[in-house]
Amino acid sequence: MTDSAYTVVVAKDLADLVPTFMNNRKKELETLRTALAALDFEQLRQLGHRMKGVGNSYGFSRVSDLGKSIEDGAHSGDRAVLDAAIVDYAEYLARVNVVYE
Amino acid sequence: MSDLAAVQHEIGAQSEFRVLVADDDQDMANFLAHMLRKEGMEADVAAEGGAALERVMASPPDLVMLDVLMPGLSGFEVCRRLKADPSTALIPVVLITALDDSESRVRGIEAGADDFLSKPVSREELLARVKTLRRLHETRRELEQRRLATEIERKETIHKAFSRYISPGLAERIIHDLGAEDGPFQANAQRIEVVALFADLRGFTRITERSEAGNVVEMLNEYFAFLTEATYQRHGTIFNMAGDSLLIGFNVPLPQKDAPARALQCAQEMVLRFAPIGRQWERRFGVATGVGIGICMGEAIIGNIGSPHYMSYTIIGNPVNTAARLMQLAAANEVLVCGEFFQAIRDLVPEQDVRARGDVALRGRSEPTPVFCVAGPGSEV
Repeated sequence: MTDSAYTVVVAKDLADLVPTFMNNRKKELETLRTALAALDFEQLRQLGHRMKGVGNSYGFSRVSDLGKSIEDGAHSGDRAVLDAAIVDYAEYLARVNVVYE
Repeated sequence: MSDLAAVQHEIGAQSEFRVLVADDDQDMANFLAHMLRKEGMEADVAAEGGAALERVMASPPDLVMLDVLMPGLSGFEVCRRLKADPSTALIPVVLITALDDSESRVRGIEAGADDFLSKPVSREELLARVKTLRRLHETRRELEQRRLATEIERKETIHKAFSRYISPGLAERIIHDLGAEDGPFQANAQRIEVVALFADLRGFTRITERSEAGNVVEMLNEYFAFLTEATYQRHGTIFNMAGDSLLIGFNVPLPQKDAPARALQCAQEMVLRFAPIGRQWERRFGVATGVGIGICMGEAIIGNIGSPHYMSYTIIGNPVNTAARLMQLAAANEVLVCGEFFQAIRDLVPEQDVRARGDVALRGRSEPTPVFCVAGPGSEV
């Protein structure tokens, strides 16, 4: 992915909410890793479902896309898909750059 | 401020629109609350269904937004409970579901949801839906307040009309019970135990012969003012006012456990209150005057009697007839009562204040009636 793919434009009026949003995503990443290690597909499905709903609402479409992959992967019990999605999510959160407009 | 004025004030007031957002996803709840506050609404947040329900009950908002999947009570269940409770059924509920979750929408409709919002939430869609529901809710609330104002106005009119015949306190209770199946003024006549009190003015016919018509009306009004005041103080019901006589009932239309005591006190008050006026009239017209009272208790028929064009709520039966006969026998400032009534109040009257008149043959009664004369405060038997 290019650097521009990690740039997210967020409405200025959400600036106060975004730090909490990002902190919760990092906590979420740890929970996803733990759930995958335990092969807890139900928790993975719920977490993916939540990511799918909240990401786009804040303007983070990539979070929603990865959430859908995790939800679908958990639903079918596809560990490889889940593994790849969680690695992508970790990379995305490490590199994402928020721009307020 | 009267009830009506309070409602009218409420109609005029523009209160802040309050929204309760319930979502276990903190970021989603914060996002929704933030958007609503930006639009000048007040937004409160609950993290799960049970807490949302408690907050609605404690302080009902104008709109509830519920995520369908929450720990504890789901959004569907909270919605269903809100719609099943008459006190919260009118609050609009928006369920927040996934865009592709048509099954949740069907369940939401079954639970009574007013609208749906899809995740991810678009701010334009959120505000458009909330604004529409706000308009609908405000229109519905205004209509409800106008209906309430009309209802209060109607009750105040009835109250004013009733208060001419019964005590204001009794009128209040009757209006409160209007529509109740066992309320007063039922269409069908009833047989109930009543205390009937008849009062009239001794010597008034002779006074009218010596007075101008205008003076007579003025005097009657003065006399009835004293009698009705005494009646209302004891929560009696005035059934009839004809010439200078008054028929009053106790234990009707609503039960009064102490009806005999109320009737006795009412009679004593009438004698006591009218005495100074009677003395004044005696000096003015040279005619001895005073109130004569008859009281009896027993079973009577209560009902609306008359024709479709003219109807009167009244009591008929033996206690009423006997009270009328006793009133005719009573001298000025005298209270004559039947035996049954005397038994009911004998503990309330000192022995020296009672004089047995023996069994008296009253017109219209086949058996002689035991009659007692009861003194009022300040009078003698």
